Amino acid sequence: MNTGFVQSVRALVTLKPKQKLTAQYLLSLLIAVSLAFLVGAGIMLLCGYDPVACYAALFKGALGKPRALGNTLAKTVTLCLTGLAMSVAAKAGIFNVGGEGQLYLGGLAAAVVGARMADSPAWLIVVCALLAAMAAGGAYAWLPGILKVKLRVNEVVTTILLNSAAIYFCSYLANGPLKTAERGIPSGTDSIAAAAWFPPLIRLSSLTTGVFYAAGITLFIWYLMTRSTAGFEMKITGTNPRFARYGGIRADRLALWGMVLSGMVCGVVGPLEVFGLHHRFLTTLSSEFYFDGMLVAMIMRYQPVGVILMSFFFAILNIGGSAMELSAGISSEVILIVQSVIIFFMAAEGGISEMARRSAAERRVRRAARRAEKEASA
Amino acid sequence: MSDVFNLLLLQNTLRTATPVVLCALGCLMTDQVGIMNIGVDGMMLMGAFFAVLGSYLFGSWLMGLAFAFALGVLLGLFYYVFSIKFKSDEFIIGVALNILAGGLTVFLLRTLFGVKGSFSGPGIVPLPTLDWPWLERIPVLGPVLNGNTLLVYVSWLMVAGSWVFLYKTPLGFHLRASGEAPEALRASGKSPERMKRLASVLCGVLATLSGAHLSLGYLTMFSENMSASRGFVAVACVIFGGSNPPRVFLAALLFGFIDALGLRLQKYIPSDLTSMAPYVVTVVMMVAVVLLRRRRQSTRSLAS
Repeated sequence: MNTGFVQSVRALVTLKPKQKLTAQYLLSLLIAVSLAFLVGAGIMLLCGYDPVACYAALFKGALGKPRALGNTLAKTVTLCLTGLAMSVAAKAGIFNVGGEGQLYLGGLAAAVVGARMADSPAWLIVVCALLAAMAAGGAYAWLPGILKVKLRVNEVVTTILLNSAAIYFCSYLANGPLKTAERGIPSGTDSIAAAAWFPPLIRLSSLTTGVFYAAGITLFIWYLMTRSTAGFEMKITGTNPRFARYGGIRADRLALWGMVLSGMVCGVVGPLEVFGLHHRFLTTLSSEFYFDGMLVAMIMRYQPVGVILMSFFFAILNIGGSAMELSAGISSEVILIVQSVIIFFMAAEGGISEMARRSAAERRVRRAARRAEKEASA
Repeated sequence: MSDVFNLLLLQNTLRTATPVVLCALGCLMTDQVGIMNIGVDGMMLMGAFFAVLGSYLFGSWLMGLAFAFALGVLLGLFYYVFSIKFKSDEFIIGVALNILAGGLTVFLLRTLFGVKGSFSGPGIVPLPTLDWPWLERIPVLGPVLNGNTLLVYVSWLMVAGSWVFLYKTPLGFHLRASGEAPEALRASGKSPERMKRLASVLCGVLATLSGAHLSLGYLTMFSENMSASRGFVAVACVIFGGSNPPRVFLAALLFGFIDALGLRLQKYIPSDLTSMAPYVVTVVMMVAVVLLRRRRQSTRSLAS
């Protein structure tokens, strides 16, 4: 028989990365989420609100109407893309905290392309805009990446600082050289060609056809991370960098490309907002979208499937939070507190369960000792 | 250009640098024990809010400082428990602290004061400005050095104090050892965990005090997200200054200078570009320090 074929199939099966999301981890997640909701309920009670009514308003506001569901799904897409962007970089051994800036630059690049190419066919505009956004985001991620790889400059700090720089730079362009001549627009670029707008899939909601582009990218990243050679190299580098080096994996190059890819994905989130919602670049393009996505990725330990599912949950909290503020009256920021509590517990999950295990073991030993003592005296 | 480059520029430099100086000193403490705490930005933000709260509730700036101080101790312990005791990823805890700070301050702002965006009013008592006639008599720099708010002087003392503490006292030695050689410290009968707890609490207190300066000294108000990434700039200053208090102080002053210069250049250059400058300069500084160190190492290896 064709042993080569059998071998490669077997190799593929054995190479299939094991999900690190074990049952125990998922149980901890459930506990953490419940605890976080309890903390939220406590805060609501303290402020004189009825927690049951508040949470009911939250879920109804996120899932109750088709329009609300559309908004939630749109938010899921954003979180999912940003979360995957974070995961790709983190799996390659480098942290990209600068997604916000990459997102802004991507949005601006796409908006400029969309406005300048007004006479071209719509599909060409969209393709060019997406490419421009990827180029802008990727280039802006390349800079901290190369600084890290070549000079060992801490990438967490540089990417955070470059965020602020990019946002100010974009707002300079949108208020200055690229400011639209249209009246009634205080700041923002020219409007993009109407033919290229992403039409909404659900009426009045922010869920647009952009979701298909996002799905394509998500699929690509999932494939890259779980099924490709690069993904396998990432996995090895992430779990045992020394072994990876002996195995001939060039960790630096992997990190650099992980960073650039991460920046490209962040860059694409910009045009999704620009073409789907605002139809021009606005200085209020994103409100810390990337940081939400980053947290989703961290909680799910950078596993693509987990990130996709968790994005939906965080989107419910996010969209439902504003609805809750409108109908129940409590400030939506309570949701941010709930989210951060989830993160605290999930980050500490390993330590806490280890401590619990150790104290349980100690108790067992003590009980056994007592029993032995009793038997000895009897 | 004489309206830009004058003594007032130096005065503004001191004012804008002080929060970064205090915060960077805090971050330096954890850096010395081997933890990079990027949650200082959130600690600063919460400190700013609670300082305003204390000052407003009791009508006294002292209570504002006390609130910030108490919060700093709590946050330091909290950070210690999560990052050392529970062995969580310090980076994730830092990010989560920043998110929590953003959510909590806005939530409290809306719930306690019933306002959105920012809270200011005659009820908030700002930090006092100190007036020392003998300082005034120093030629040229006198008017700049004199008449600053309390925490500006405290921050100078802190720079000297933390240097003495870290490099000249046994406790400081143990603290540094807990980062560099925890096993050696343990072998000598001292607990590295306790040193890390001390560093974490010091970091929390310094970070929240920097927030108090922001909301009671620099301005007399609290506004949403008023730390504006200054905490991250502080982290960059710590890296730039190699965790050495005087050098970190100089780095923070440089940041303050760029920031103040930007504010004063707004007449000539769009404000977005001037706001961008400090962040870009900080990144350039971080690259420069690595290049300089490399060059020094290569010349040294050539000489030997």
